[in-house]
Amino acid sequence: MQIEENPHGVQTADLIVGIPSYNEAGLIAYPTEKASEGLIKYFGSKNSVIINCDNHSTDGTRETFMNTPTEVPKIYLSTPPGVRGKGNNLKNLFEKSRDLGAQAIVVVDADLKSITPRWIKNLGEPLFEDFGFVAPLYVRHKYDGTITNNIAYPMTRCVYGRRVRQPIGGDFGFTGELAEVYLRQEDWTPAVAAFGIDIWMTTTAVCHGTPICQSYMGRPKVHKPKDPGKSLGPMFLQVVGTIFEMMIKHADFWKEVRWSKPTAIFGFGLGEMEMPPPVDVNIERLYDKFQTGCADCESLWKDILSNNLFKKLSEVRALPLGGFEFPANLWAEILIDFAVAYRNRINEKEKLMEGLIPLYFGRTCSFVTESEPLTIQQAEELIEEQCEVFETSKPYLLNRWSE
Amino acid sequence: MKKILIVDDEEVIRMLYGEELEEEGYEVVTAGSGHGLMEMIQREKPDLVILDIKMAEHDGLDLLQEIRKDFYNIPVILCSAYSSFKGDLKSIAADYYVVKSADLSELKQKIKMALEGQIPSQPSLK
Repeated sequence: MQIEENPHGVQTADLIVGIPSYNEAGLIAYPTEKASEGLIKYFGSKNSVIINCDNHSTDGTRETFMNTPTEVPKIYLSTPPGVRGKGNNLKNLFEKSRDLGAQAIVVVDADLKSITPRWIKNLGEPLFEDFGFVAPLYVRHKYDGTITNNIAYPMTRCVYGRRVRQPIGGDFGFTGELAEVYLRQEDWTPAVAAFGIDIWMTTTAVCHGTPICQSYMGRPKVHKPKDPGKSLGPMFLQVVGTIFEMMIKHADFWKEVRWSKPTAIFGFGLGEMEMPPPVDVNIERLYDKFQTGCADCESLWKDILSNNLFKKLSEVRALPLGGFEFPANLWAEILIDFAVAYRNRINEKEKLMEGLIPLYFGRTCSFVTESEPLTIQQAEELIEEQCEVFETSKPYLLNRWSE
Repeated sequence: MKKILIVDDEEVIRMLYGEELEEEGYEVVTAGSGHGLMEMIQREKPDLVILDIKMAEHDGLDLLQEIRKDFYNIPVILCSAYSSFKGDLKSIAADYYVVKSADLSELKQKIKMALEGQIPSQPSLK
């Protein structure tokens, strides 16, 4: 069931810009304005609409969105009161895009502060050419997107062989045809209904054989950043839980994948890339949360991890913050052991995922420490090196998965 | 036999790499610049391209974009004396990036990986 306001009586649309939200009254006007400008400037001949798919916000998000002056008509869609989740918002968008007969849908986050009209062009244009799914490509601060950098990107690359640098970027483009594919999927879990939706959409597109490209946005993603030690807990569980669920579903696909391939790029020639603003991370907090987790989760880890990994982890645990290092190959193999345990322990998934969080804090602490003296470009190289480590762990994944 | 195209403006590199890779069992063709490169790829149909970045007349990263537009599925290894281009976002369109060295073991390993790589293919970007 969804709540809808369609004051212009829009019945059809070639191109939709969707803006999922929950309590974003303070920020949603800006991406709404830029979306309208982009649709008029670059897709003037198309029949377009902007849709805010909301979680029944109580802060005035609907009013702000609907009152933002735009040349393009707007529709407000909402889940019923009390129903939350970005995935639920996007499911409403998939259904609405089917009803409107849309050829292409662009999704941008409601908290974007750096979006330009060109983002709409670059996320939308490839959809009218050969591509079915467009992922964004932008420079992010080295401490922004820690789940992306340490899990979603290297895992997508290692498991599915597809290098999608921002698989949970939040800003995407996809065809109406792919929206139909999404609606037909039966693996709609509570995690997918929440923040698991982004990796679910990317992975479904990859495994469905959809032609994918990455599009340069030209400006860094500037949004409400979050300190990974402070506020990423539920999001972590939803994203990583979805990654593990999809590994189970698509095992026949990924077992055949060897090494990785680059993904097509769209939108070169945008000139110099602008650097993103700094993001503060509290290293001490990450280290403390790792150490606390070591005490709380020791027996669980002993149960899940191979003896060798547990021994290596004990060595890492003994390191002081001054010389702390959580090696990438250990992290890759730990994630693999957890993915296998997730598959095997159907009734203990929540407990198991909770046990992974302190390890993520440990790896993030190590990454932040290692990349502290590096430029954003150098940190990017570090992430690429980590991805290669993950790829060389693929035989370990295949062995563990077949046990 | 897999065919490798080496694009490098230094003749000594083309010769050295060519000989080593022929010894590994590859067929090698070479180009000293980016002039007519797309036509050469069309004609020679290489299984893999090794591409220098800083060449006298051409920027390898720009050539990479041209290759990606017309021949998306051909693996490309960027091979440069400089590591600094590794962080350039354009370089991610390559399969691998190798810093030039007298020891070609890393390059050979990446060639093997690029040729072995196996996932559903992507269309050309038109």
